[in-house]
Amino acid sequence: MTNAHLNRRHVLAGLASAASLPGIVQAQTGTPRKGGTLKVSHSTRIAQLNVLQLSGPSEYLAVDMIYSGLVRLSPTMVPTPELATEWTPNNDATSFVFKLRPGVTFHDGTAFSSADVVATFKAILDVATKSPARAVLDMIGDIVAVDALTVRFDLKVPYADLPVSVAHANARIVSAAALKQPLTLLDTTANGTGPFKIESFDSSRFLKLVRHPGYYRPGQPYVDVVEMYLFPDLAAEAANYLSGAMDVMLEVQQADFKRIASAPNSNALRIPSGRFVNVVMRMDQKPFDDVRVRTAMAYAIDRPTLVDLVLEGLGRPAKDNVISPGYRFLADTPDVSYDPARAKRLLAEAGYPQGLKIPLVCSNRPAIRSQVGIAIKSMAQPAGFDIDVQTIPHDTYLANVWRKGNFYVGFWGMQATEDAAFTLLFTTTAAFADTAWNNKEFDALVEKGRSSPDEGERRRIYAEAQALMVRDRPSIIPFFQDVLTASRSVVKGWSAHPLSRTFYVENVWLERA
Amino acid sequence: MNAAYLGRRLASMMLVLVIVSLTVFAITLILPGNAAVMILGEYATPDQLRVLELELGLDRPWHVQYLGWMGKLLAGDWGASMRLSVPVGGLITEALWRSAALAAAALAMVMVVAIPLGIVAALKRGTWVDLAISFFAYLGTAVPEFVTATLLLIFFAAPDRGWFPAGGFVPAAENRLLFLYHMCLPAATLSLILTAHIARQVRSEMSDVLASDYVRAARLKGLPERTVVLRHALRNAMAPAVAVISLDVGYLLGGIIVVEEVFAWPGLGRLIIYALQNRDLPVIQAATLVLATVYALSNLVSDLVIAALDPRVRYA
Amino acid sequence: MLDIWRHPTGLIGSCLLALVLGAAVFGAVLAPYDPQLFQPLARLQGPSAGHWLGTDQFGRDILSRILHGARATIAFGVGATLLGVVAGAVIGVTAGVVGTWVDSLIMRTIDGLLAVPDLLFTLLIVTVLGGGTGHAMLAVAVAFTPGMARISRSAVLSIRTREFVQAATARGESRIYIMAAEVLPNSVGPLIVEATIRVSFAVLLGATLGFLGLGAQPPSTEWGLMIAEARQFMFRNPWCVAAPGIAIAMTAMGFNLFGDALRDVFDPRGRR
Repeated sequence: MTNAHLNRRHVLAGLASAASLPGIVQAQTGTPRKGGTLKVSHSTRIAQLNVLQLSGPSEYLAVDMIYSGLVRLSPTMVPTPELATEWTPNNDATSFVFKLRPGVTFHDGTAFSSADVVATFKAILDVATKSPARAVLDMIGDIVAVDALTVRFDLKVPYADLPVSVAHANARIVSAAALKQPLTLLDTTANGTGPFKIESFDSSRFLKLVRHPGYYRPGQPYVDVVEMYLFPDLAAEAANYLSGAMDVMLEVQQADFKRIASAPNSNALRIPSGRFVNVVMRMDQKPFDDVRVRTAMAYAIDRPTLVDLVLEGLGRPAKDNVISPGYRFLADTPDVSYDPARAKRLLAEAGYPQGLKIPLVCSNRPAIRSQVGIAIKSMAQPAGFDIDVQTIPHDTYLANVWRKGNFYVGFWGMQATEDAAFTLLFTTTAAFADTAWNNKEFDALVEKGRSSPDEGERRRIYAEAQALMVRDRPSIIPFFQDVLTASRSVVKGWSAHPLSRTFYVENVWLERA
Repeated sequence: MNAAYLGRRLASMMLVLVIVSLTVFAITLILPGNAAVMILGEYATPDQLRVLELELGLDRPWHVQYLGWMGKLLAGDWGASMRLSVPVGGLITEALWRSAALAAAALAMVMVVAIPLGIVAALKRGTWVDLAISFFAYLGTAVPEFVTATLLLIFFAAPDRGWFPAGGFVPAAENRLLFLYHMCLPAATLSLILTAHIARQVRSEMSDVLASDYVRAARLKGLPERTVVLRHALRNAMAPAVAVISLDVGYLLGGIIVVEEVFAWPGLGRLIIYALQNRDLPVIQAATLVLATVYALSNLVSDLVIAALDPRVRYA
Repeated sequence: MLDIWRHPTGLIGSCLLALVLGAAVFGAVLAPYDPQLFQPLARLQGPSAGHWLGTDQFGRDILSRILHGARATIAFGVGATLLGVVAGAVIGVTAGVVGTWVDSLIMRTIDGLLAVPDLLFTLLIVTVLGGGTGHAMLAVAVAFTPGMARISRSAVLSIRTREFVQAATARGESRIYIMAAEVLPNSVGPLIVEATIRVSFAVLLGATLGFLGLGAQPPSTEWGLMIAEARQFMFRNPWCVAAPGIAIAMTAMGFNLFGDALRDVFDPRGRR
């Protein structure tokens, strides 16, 4: 993760002309061969292909192959050129100019230009489009086509990380012509600029993509065909991969990882990520309005054991700081060791000398929520917590508990920036402010960090924000979960990303081809 | 075939389907409370929720909604899936054929295995063969499909053996052999319970018939045992067996839901589970109605077959 | 009742039932461990002297979990069936005794409901109610009701034509008296038989719902849920899946065999 500390300006200049990324293609030896069919298995349905709206894990792989964005996040979370070749902010980070790549064509052969970019971002900012990207792009005031190959984003507030936000996986460029038609057409058809185009799509089982001959990276993609197969049953998916019927298993379950890693002709990949499960303790309600109760909870959890039990060791213990080691501005915060005696003392000081009996609500999807709940129940018992784990259906959870209950288990993906991580859950105006922390000092720090163009100052500000977060502990973040994937050894260049949003399939080639 | 009997049965089937449609509609009316939340998931913002709720347009009175739905349904417009954004009609037809193929394969396996098993058990009544078959029959009905499916996966699709694919689907149009190959394990799972059940029925029917005066008379006439069993006894034991098979179509339609989920068979069962999990109301409504229609039709067909085998029924 | 044990099926069924019911009553006392106790150092172990059926992914003792789960599983099966039988009997007897258009209306509705396969019907209701053990039990009961109503109605009809009921009608007894004193006690036999066999269906349905994530929820020790949770680990420790699977099969088979034997006793002319 040292690459994450690269100087920002250096990165912008250095990558402007680079077609491929260090650490992706070069990690594999040998000359890429052309041709062949890559078979990928996945366990969640590709319900739709509308790149502006979708949010399923397998859907993100599909659109990463079909569409391109202006920029794409590299595995080290640095924005790298795609349809935009370079970008420059003004002095106070309120306006960004993006230069577009010339000679790019959509799958239907029409030319790509600034009009498509403007139309796409206007669609994302329209509430009716229901795009998940809107939340991270709503600082955009206006977007202007300066000429056919130049666009300018004018922001309502200073925002230094705009290129990262623009790299949002849902902010891929859709042709202006397609956006004039009914949006529902985008659910099953696509006209993108990505390396592959749709050949056939059956949302109940199968997506077949073929090479886009006009792709703007010459000679790429290497494989002719990519087929994605849906296996809703995880045991069946693993068996299919191990028998050689599939080349890539998009997401490997923790329980299967060792078996798959030790299988012959199989490469299992484990990428540290910032995905996390958190135990929400609502701060405007009893008993968690008292910081001593929250701290007691923090010391009542044996985090390394939790990682072993729930993640099979495939993750990293965390210290209630939402910023994981993959981010640029991680600050060192104090360790939280398992100390039931101390937790018991804190509970007694807070007025619960007999211990605290409390129900912990877990949604049944994904199963990791109740696994964490059950493990915490058993760990926190010696500290005086008598936790009653209640697993309920996901929709009941969303309707009745989430953002309403006082003690439940959340599950979140990694965000692209520190700002996105903070404003997702923890600031007063956060999109999902479910801990009710409402700390003005923290809000101000996040605001300042986002608009400051100076690297050193941002580091200092974000460190302060993180210190504040572990002091107040609005929620318990016990671990960060690794991203797990696997490919057979004939597959070269298969990679994964901490955010699980970009996959670089255009770099993949098959030795048997 | 008596036209009046047929007409009466058809009319009662229509009535049944109207009742099913009302029931399903009532159930889906209670559901939408969470539909918008479920569709947009955790990342929804309040304004997106509002937009979707308006789109769903659930503000009209129930009978207007029901009549509108039925009218469109009868006109061939099944609406669009809320989650998959494709017309429900196509979605269901495609899934229905895949499920039907699976069910037909399972039924064929059952016929080939269950009926001979039942006959053998009846002929060898009281011996260890009969006991073994009876034990298997009881065991078969006592193990749920998901356990059978899991055990078959471990034994026949374990990666190191890989005798059969561990689930998946290849369209028959693409490769007929692979299509059948992928069908083996799910069809075997489905047929296990039915085999147990039907073998038991055939055994008891056959035992009764074999003990009847009619068969005794045939034996006394000196007819060879083969002729007695196959010509006389089996024919008389078939009518009740057909009735049981048609009842078992109900089991089959239920079993398919679990089996398709485990073996990644993209049929009606998986579609229903997906629709229920995601509160996809139009799909839930249509798929349930289609399954009920299939069931009702199979009952009708079995009634007709029984009537043909046993003339007394027609006037009952 | 002694007759039951003369049938080999009845004898085996009774033994299985005794075993399962014994586990339901004494399981919590007999269990060697706390079913929720984590033993992080003893995860996914095979059978041993310390853990007769091995341990699951959290190092919980499988035997203890199965013994504890027996009560939940039996209570689920019996509870759902009882609810379904009572509701079905009330509806069916009403239809049979009242007759006329009420009977027709009830029977047509029941035909409609029976046209939806059991599992699908249960899934629909559970989805409406929102999952969990209680709701799953209610859903299975509702799914059983139409079938039970039809059986009790036909039992009533067949009894209504018998001499003692006709005699009571001739005596000028009220309908309610006839229903309560003559019809109901005499239709109980077939209902009990049907109910016993249905318990095994209810156990299977409950396990299936648990497996699909719509029935019992973690950390419950319901057997279907145990299998669902352990499936991911089935290659590492097959006992996680096999042990609760065998427990389910034993229970379902026990009720099934016992019910069949019961039928022979109640109705010696019956063919099975």
